[in-house]
Amino acid sequence: MKAFDRIIDSLRIASISSWRTKERGLAIVAGVFLASLVVTTVLAYGNGLSQAFLAGGIEADVIDAKVDMKRPPGDNVTGRTNDSIQWASVCDDLLSDESLSVSDCDLVYGRQGIRVTGFFDENFIRPQPLNVESIEGITSDWENVSFDYPEQLESGPPINGQRSVRILGESSWDGEFSNRYQAEILYGEWPTPDRALNSRAVVLPNQVASQAGVSENETIDRLDFSYVSDYSALPAEIDPESCSGEIRTGVNGFQYCRETITLLNLTVVGIYADQPPANPALQFNHIFITGTVLTEEQNLTLMQNDHAYLALAIDRSKLPSSSTSAAADWLDDIENNVEGKNYTTANIEVDYYDLISGTLTFLNIYLGFVQIFDYIIMVPIIALSLSVLAYGMLLSLEQRRREISIERVIGATSETLQRMVLLEILVMSSAAWLAGYLLALASVPLILNAVGFMEFEKLDQLDVSVSLSVFSTIILFIIVVGIAAQFGRSRTRSFLEMEIDEGVKKVVIKEGGRRWLQYLIFFIGLLALIEAYIETTDPIWDEDDDGLVSNFILNGLLFIFGPFLLWIGGALVLGRLGSLGPKIAQIIFGRTPLLKDVRRGLQRSGSAESVNRLAIIMILTLSIVTLAAVQGETGTLVDERTASAQVGSDLQVQFTDSVNKSVAEQRLRDAIFAVGEDKDMSIGSTTVPTILTNIDGKASNIPTWVLLDSHKEVMIWDNQAVPNQDQEAAFEGWKTTSFTAGESAAITLELSREVGRGKAVSNDDDQIQTLTYDEDNFVAIPVDQQQIDLLSSFAQGISALDLSPNYSGKDLSNTDTWAGFNFSGSNLFDTNLSGSNFTNTSLVGAVIGFGLSDAQPNLFGLDLSGANLTGIGIADFNQLNPFISSNLLSGVNFTNSNLSGAWGFFDLNQSTLSNTTCPDGTNSDQSGCASGPAPAMLWPQEIVLAMQPLEFKIETTTRNATVEFMGQHRWVPGLDNSEAQTSLVIGESVWRQLVGTDVANNLTATKWFFDVGALASKDDGSVLKRLSSQISTQSNISSVSDWKTSHEDVERNGGLIFGTPGLLTLQFVVASLAAVASAFVFLTLVLTQRRKELAILQAIGASPNQVMRLVLFEILSIVIFSMFLGSLLGVGISYAFNGFFGIFGFIFQLFGGNSTPISREILFPWIRLSLVYLAVLTTVIMALLVTTRQALKADLAVTLKGE
Amino acid sequence: MVGDTPILEADSLYHIYESRAEDGNVVALRGLQISIKEGEAVAVVGPSGSGKSTLLKCLGGLMKPSAGMVRIGGENLTRLTGKELVEVRQRMVSFIFQEGNLLPHLSALDNVAQPLRHQRIPPKEAKNRASELLTKLGLGARMNARPALLSGGEQQRTAIARALITKPRLILADEPTGALDPITSREVLALFSSLHEVDNVSFLLVTHNREVADICGRSLELRDGRFVAQHGAQLDVSDLGDSRELIVDDLGTVTFPPDILIEMGGAGRYSVDDLSKGRLVLSSVEKTESLVEGGQMVLTSICPACKHEYGDEGAQQCPSCGSSRPMISS
Repeated sequence: MKAFDRIIDSLRIASISSWRTKERGLAIVAGVFLASLVVTTVLAYGNGLSQAFLAGGIEADVIDAKVDMKRPPGDNVTGRTNDSIQWASVCDDLLSDESLSVSDCDLVYGRQGIRVTGFFDENFIRPQPLNVESIEGITSDWENVSFDYPEQLESGPPINGQRSVRILGESSWDGEFSNRYQAEILYGEWPTPDRALNSRAVVLPNQVASQAGVSENETIDRLDFSYVSDYSALPAEIDPESCSGEIRTGVNGFQYCRETITLLNLTVVGIYADQPPANPALQFNHIFITGTVLTEEQNLTLMQNDHAYLALAIDRSKLPSSSTSAAADWLDDIENNVEGKNYTTANIEVDYYDLISGTLTFLNIYLGFVQIFDYIIMVPIIALSLSVLAYGMLLSLEQRRREISIERVIGATSETLQRMVLLEILVMSSAAWLAGYLLALASVPLILNAVGFMEFEKLDQLDVSVSLSVFSTIILFIIVVGIAAQFGRSRTRSFLEMEIDEGVKKVVIKEGGRRWLQYLIFFIGLLALIEAYIETTDPIWDEDDDGLVSNFILNGLLFIFGPFLLWIGGALVLGRLGSLGPKIAQIIFGRTPLLKDVRRGLQRSGSAESVNRLAIIMILTLSIVTLAAVQGETGTLVDERTASAQVGSDLQVQFTDSVNKSVAEQRLRDAIFAVGEDKDMSIGSTTVPTILTNIDGKASNIPTWVLLDSHKEVMIWDNQAVPNQDQEAAFEGWKTTSFTAGESAAITLELSREVGRGKAVSNDDDQIQTLTYDEDNFVAIPVDQQQIDLLSSFAQGISALDLSPNYSGKDLSNTDTWAGFNFSGSNLFDTNLSGSNFTNTSLVGAVIGFGLSDAQPNLFGLDLSGANLTGIGIADFNQLNPFISSNLLSGVNFTNSNLSGAWGFFDLNQSTLSNTTCPDGTNSDQSGCASGPAPAMLWPQEIVLAMQPLEFKIETTTRNATVEFMGQHRWVPGLDNSEAQTSLVIGESVWRQLVGTDVANNLTATKWFFDVGALASKDDGSVLKRLSSQISTQSNISSVSDWKTSHEDVERNGGLIFGTPGLLTLQFVVASLAAVASAFVFLTLVLTQRRKELAILQAIGASPNQVMRLVLFEILSIVIFSMFLGSLLGVGISYAFNGFFGIFGFIFQLFGGNSTPISREILFPWIRLSLVYLAVLTTVIMALLVTTRQALKADLAVTLKGE
Repeated sequence: MVGDTPILEADSLYHIYESRAEDGNVVALRGLQISIKEGEAVAVVGPSGSGKSTLLKCLGGLMKPSAGMVRIGGENLTRLTGKELVEVRQRMVSFIFQEGNLLPHLSALDNVAQPLRHQRIPPKEAKNRASELLTKLGLGARMNARPALLSGGEQQRTAIARALITKPRLILADEPTGALDPITSREVLALFSSLHEVDNVSFLLVTHNREVADICGRSLELRDGRFVAQHGAQLDVSDLGDSRELIVDDLGTVTFPPDILIEMGGAGRYSVDDLSKGRLVLSSVEKTESLVEGGQMVLTSICPACKHEYGDEGAQQCPSCGSSRPMISS
């Protein structure tokens, strides 16, 4: 009790003392507050970051874990049940066990039992989901819908490439599952259990719904899905006798027997947004159906074929978010508990498959890098707050010299004194710590939501609630307050030793402060700076482009540690210079009337240690302010530039068909109208046609990109992309006759030996080039008119001349570029088309497949899906030859093709037909044209005649243009960065000269860039995002990208990383505050210390005005000088840190797969910096005026008398 | 009541302040010897720079002398470690200074209780004792005020209370009334004498004030780090010469105060003309010409600090400002 009283009493005394002497405690409070703020932020930031990552990682599927019976169904299998009531009891067991944190559980039919953990196990890829086979509904266009879903194969191991069905039990329609499903719903609602039951509910993914044109509450008349009743690992095959369904070969090396279940009369109650690929264990973007539509028998069938499992929802709020590895451990525990549990239904044994932890592994590594990076960039600010703390401690102790001697006189031992001082420091720093801690927790979500330097978005974007565990909080407290206490202890001890020995007035020999070490550190830092500068600016004399230090590891070390050394060493070395401020200023102003009378008073100043400390603190803080502002602004801009380089304009749309400008714009206007904006608004559009050109015969066929004149308004250019970094000059050059070349194109063409970033070459004569373009025209050599007539009379309505473009005998195989090409009326006899893609190609009236010569036509793997083949001539010579029997068209894909009026001898039975228009005009079914091939024609003599190879020739028109080499471009916005290196870029006028006006005026293209004006930034870019997703639902779109989405992507994963702008913002704000606060605190302390000096000055007759001027001049010259040095050092470390950011940027790009052509060009936000400097200066002057006035007002005698 | 056992003894006390300055080390105490009996009150007088403060610190155990022995209540301070030293101080000694030297951020009550806190006495008891003592000293109503709000006398009384709270056997006071006006100063002195008489506390007072010296049985004159003379109860601080008894210490050292030296005719060789028990007569062997011609050292006639004219006074200290009277060459 007494001890308790004593503690309370000591605390009371300590609190009173610290409150009544708050001026001197200010520095300690400031230091601890800053340290607490920064350290907590860094830790809480890490926590928020993993939360954000986890949220992004685990919320892709609503199901967190899949629980299968331990053993697959079969005869005499123990430990499992096919009774849904018993399954439900397992659910009840799991839900009632508090330790498992299971928040929902449901019996679901879907993918078969997995029972292994690895992705690459064949037993992992074998179990199959339920697949959609077909859907019918009178009100919708279900025939438009393809249930192929190859994305599933792309985003995971080869399991199944079809759209799958998930049949949900009762629990999915209420509780946690319902909430999770509801969150993704776009139209309609996630039904209640009643609604699900009554309406026989189906919920569709948006992609399926929009293909089918289905909206909510529409009826599906019939839905067929298939389950797997048998499988066999190839090459062993399933015995067709044993399979009552269909035997299909999967992509994964297994053969399956699939049987179909038909459901009738369902209602679409909701449509949900398509989700990105998640854990490959479960398929994604299912069609959800309520289990109540199944009959008992169907239930049992699915159960017996292993399609049943328990879907678990884990209480995600309990997932430890401090680190991903903690989360993984927690999940492992659940797995072990679930599998090891004794269930009410005897003998049940389950296998738990966790869907979250797989995602965690990858996150772990990535997050690790992100955090290391973040911690490193926060090092300076932590060091800063600690140095404020240390200096503050020293100054505050000096202030209590008198108090300590009094305490000693009245009987305090040095231990009691230490205890007292320490207790006071503890009281002050605990309060400061709490303030910093709370502020940090509040600011972290803001920091994570920062989209750029000093820019924040609405908080709903990323919902992170940061809380640190009690343990981490205690650790934080111990770290921060402990550091303060430790500082306090050592400082107090040495101070007390000094004080107590004071009687023996020993002259303390000050240590030299190891100056050589400071200089060495500074020197290494400078080396890093010079190295970084050389590597960013790439000067000409640095021929091998590797700077001063060519060793890779040394270079890396220099980049990582150099900046820190530069900062610390610089502050120490320059701090000494800063405290010389008054002397230097005196030389400048000494003889002016301003200082004439107080000159002598200045002689001795600047030597005091406290002044030196003031200079160091100012340099430390202001250099960090500069660093944070510079790197923050630079990073933000780099992100924006990267987005611009990737998208090229507000919107980039790749159409499936080649369209002209007005069609492209019309499609955009349709989408604008659909998102509820004004469709008559002004929009800009451009495209970049590509031709092959030839320069002075040096190399043939260099891809050449054409910048139409409209590019200037539509595309977002960057100075770095163009020669000389001068956009206007480059635009002007392209507009006239100049061209640019990518780096490797320039080397190939020997345009200039200069490599590097967009350098121009001297304007000498060599750079005038002739650009040659060969326009190939296929011209028929006149043939016997009779043959032509014969042919044309035979080929219904096709004139023989239409067969003019002759590609016979050519190899057009394995090319994608034919897609969308116009081959109308071409001669493709004997042509090797194997593996080529003629998707959406017009082959109207062309002739393919005749094989009269020795060279056999090869159509294997030809993809003619979507092609217009109206009136095409298809014939198979081999069909006439009794000795060879082969089907020329076997394996050719005619999906969505139009074959009406096709003629010739052919057999479609082994071709892929789906939604194909048969030669007789009817629609095909899966297996072939119901009506069979077109009536086999006789083989009249005339045709044989016509089959004699017709002669054609390619007539080439060569056009030239005189062009001038302007320099190297580095990229073209929106176009592939690596292609840009091998391409030339010309302007519209040169292109018109080369291709001729006809072609130019009838330009069509598939890739269009759009400028949507003010719409791009409306509602923070959300309109643009909606517009982009609206366009992507249009039918003839292959891909869309918009600036906003791309920018967000870059911010999250690309140029720099997640939240870094926020961290730099924090650093900037904290360092600015620290600059202002420490200026104030230190000045006050320095001036209080000098109060006696000022009093003496007054006592010997200085006027208050003179004293004021003296102090103002002295301190201001130190502060201004230090500010100058601080910003100088800040610029230095900004450059030095650039190399460091570059290294980490490189690592993140490796992870994100997101390479950016932008080099980090330092940007100086002078206005922002000047504001901070101004604030510091104002504070300093205010502090000066206040303290000096106080000092002047004080009773001289008292000041002089006191110690 | 003056007892027989000495409460404070110091012998061959030397203290040297080391300095790297050109004039080298400063010897503040040179082989000083003192003994104060229990219940005795002793005043120390002497000009500025004679080593009074150093003496007080060394005697009170605040500072270790360079050499010599200090014994308080039988404990040899010079042999003690820091912690033991503090314990002895806590038990035996208290200090009172010219200004109160109170802790500015604590109330009078907390200030007075503070020494007890250092002695690990439970806070409640400490507070009770402190408030009792303050009431006794007439500060009952003011004990929750902070020092800045107290008058000079109240501050000094608080400081005295703080010194008394530990029930010390020896109080070392450095100009305890120096900062007070005469009336307050008299009050404080009355308090001192009652303490001295009633509680039998020993005092060592450093002072310039005759009234202060008056409450003491004897006064010691300190010059250049050595006690040169002892004075009786009726001390005339302005003219020490009248009541002076010169001290010859165990080593046989005798120091002549400057006024005596001048009267003797200055430094030089002297023959012992008469030496018997209790008597010593010195005569100058030769008159040093240089002393006479080259400007004899005489006491200044005008106080350099306050321009007080001494006239024919033989005073060692300026009666108006208290600064010591320097010698100049005539």
